[in-house]
Amino acid sequence: GEPQMAAYLTHQQKVLRLYKKSLRHLESWCIYRDKYRYFACLLRERFDKNKDVKDMVKATELLKAGEEEFWANQHPQPYIFPDSPGGTSYERYECYKIPEWCLDYWHPSEKAMYPDYFAKREQWKKLQRESWDKEIKQLEEETPADGPRTEALPPARKEGHLPPLWWQYVTRPREIPM
Amino acid sequence: METALLLNTSMLLTLAIILTPILLAPLSKTPSNSPTTITRTVKTAFLVSLVPMILFMYSGTESITSHWEWKLTTGFKIPLSLKMDQYSMTFFPIALFVTWSILQFATWYMASEPYTTKFFSYLLTFLIAMLILTIANNMFLLFIGWEGVGMMSFLLIGWWQGRAEANTAALQAVLYNRIGDIGLILSMAWLASTTNTWELQQPLTPTQTPMLPLLGLILAAMGKSAQFGLHPWLPAAMEGPTPVSALLHSSTMVVAGIFLLIRTHPMLTTNHTALTLCLCLGALSTLFAATCALTQNDIKKIIAFSTSSQLGLMMVTIGLNLPQLAFLHISTHAFFKAMLFLCSGTIIHSLNGEQDIRKMGGLQNMLPTTTSCLTIGNLALMGTPFLAGFYSKDLIIESLNTSYLNTWALLLTLLATSFTATYSLRMTLLVQTGFPRTPTNPPVNENSPTITAPLTRLALGSILAGLLITSYIIPTKTPPMTMPLSTKTAAITATMLGIALALELSTMTHTLAHPKQNTYLNFSSTLGYFNPLTHRPSTANLLNSGQKIASHLIDLSWYKKMGPEGLGDLQLMMTKASTILHTGLIKTYLGSFALSILLILSTQT
Repeated sequence: GEPQMAAYLTHQQKVLRLYKKSLRHLESWCIYRDKYRYFACLLRERFDKNKDVKDMVKATELLKAGEEEFWANQHPQPYIFPDSPGGTSYERYECYKIPEWCLDYWHPSEKAMYPDYFAKREQWKKLQRESWDKEIKQLEEETPADGPRTEALPPARKEGHLPPLWWQYVTRPREIPM
Repeated sequence: METALLLNTSMLLTLAIILTPILLAPLSKTPSNSPTTITRTVKTAFLVSLVPMILFMYSGTESITSHWEWKLTTGFKIPLSLKMDQYSMTFFPIALFVTWSILQFATWYMASEPYTTKFFSYLLTFLIAMLILTIANNMFLLFIGWEGVGMMSFLLIGWWQGRAEANTAALQAVLYNRIGDIGLILSMAWLASTTNTWELQQPLTPTQTPMLPLLGLILAAMGKSAQFGLHPWLPAAMEGPTPVSALLHSSTMVVAGIFLLIRTHPMLTTNHTALTLCLCLGALSTLFAATCALTQNDIKKIIAFSTSSQLGLMMVTIGLNLPQLAFLHISTHAFFKAMLFLCSGTIIHSLNGEQDIRKMGGLQNMLPTTTSCLTIGNLALMGTPFLAGFYSKDLIIESLNTSYLNTWALLLTLLATSFTATYSLRMTLLVQTGFPRTPTNPPVNENSPTITAPLTRLALGSILAGLLITSYIIPTKTPPMTMPLSTKTAAITATMLGIALALELSTMTHTLAHPKQNTYLNFSSTLGYFNPLTHRPSTANLLNSGQKIASHLIDLSWYKKMGPEGLGDLQLMMTKASTILHTGLIKTYLGSFALSILLILSTQT
């Protein structure tokens, strides 16, 4: 089947994560692109030199030495993309993201300002009520006995069914508010 | 006589114009406030406030008006008195001009935000509080303005309250300002108890003022103006939107502490220990902030540390017993610092939220007006001859040099001046020149006049303000006239050295040497290790001592040891001592009877 997320990282994943974060910190150090490209090529060569090591003990020792070298050479203020965690506009609009069930608490005079939307909304809510039991049944059947292995949700399996827990994705708020 | 009347009327009219959107709009049926109406209000107020300033410049009229009195006791009255002297009458037009430009810019900057009218109302409330602080003649009104600006700073820094860092920064600002408020309230209490008045225009006795109220005032200025020791809130305050940083944390709020020291200057003049404290504190602040700015990569943080450094320089001027020069620096600094922030706001929006200068470059071709204004602002900041910054900064360094007060402060200030040049040039080189390091096709935009008009206005102010203010305001103290050439050119030489250092460092970054961490870089990047060293231990101590009081002191000591368990232990000790005697032999007991009878007989007879 497809590779699934487990509770531990494989050696390949660890090496690739080390490579990516060392490239990002190198980019924070070497501001100009040509200089960055030069050192990035050198770094790639260092990683490629030990690519075919088959002995896991030696490979793990190399990885540990690499992590220590990364820690010593990291940048004190690494470049973080604005929307990434720790960036300058991360979660900036979180205060405007109100959940959709608040719409149910609107006064009828306020709801009357958007009649088409609320009429459609009633149909959507009816659909949600109808398909809820089928979604739960599908999830209960597909989850292994000792708990789910991964956070990924399965798609809808049968004709006419909707994917499980579709409501929270369909009704998620906008990224940037109006 | 008429000039005084015109003066008072026009100042009151300015204040009334500013208050109109806040007071009238909630009362009317249809809320008619909008960003454009508020901008227009501030513009009108600015034009009206030019009248008293020109009156003052041509006739030298000053006035103090008193409108109402709050009679606390028969001896202590708090009037609502406004002081219109050179400081307030010059500050009003400058603050209103800068605010008008920032509000006009903010109509474009915050256009895509929900609740812009609330934002503009907050900014207007802040402006009202700041103007109350400036025009106050007694400590009570000043305190109202002081707390008002602190509160609005909290609300505006935490504007995007969904962000954890914004809330932390807002809380940090409030707490550090509170520590400063302790000093202010201390000095207010001393003034009330000793001099029985909170009025500022009554000069105190010519003998030396005791240290206690002066220390309180200096603590208040430390908190509000981010001097070393109470400084971390200012870089953290960059979490707020750029118009907030431009208005509060560069031009107006942070100068409130220095303004307090300018207003209470008669108390400070005679106490030379307090003046030396101001001098050394200011020198330390300016160098520390300039050192931290050298390695910052966020454009707003660089400008924040630049503000902190210039505030230290203002404190140095207070320490030199030159309040008027400090006020001149406040005025000129407002122009170019607000402009620097607005330019950075344009750059940030044009690059879709990017604030890191490592991902900017070549913007001179993409944003010509903005980068020209950025260059003008940086030149003014560095003290380029005959731009705005020169008139105040050069005079300060000349006075420091010829005052022979403290060589250490002089060295620190000169070093900070060269660092100012270094980080300004570093920022300019990385942002404007070179090849673009931005993502391809950024939404670069400076087309609308709402962006270019404020920037060009403030640029004009940055160039002319120094000349205009020094031409028309008569200095109260004679500036130093004669000095050797090396002293006269000390500031410009330090700036040139800083520029040379920046150019050298930038050529070094182009060479193929792998950059590494070293001690100085780490010290500067982590802002002198100040934040973790002070924030963690103080809160940990407080919480630990609270836990110890709750568990050890109260639970263990008072409830147990002083009561049941303590008595029990005492009993046990005594019983253990007397068990030795309980042998169970009759002879011992007969012997003890005999001993006690003998004792009674001997004492009886």
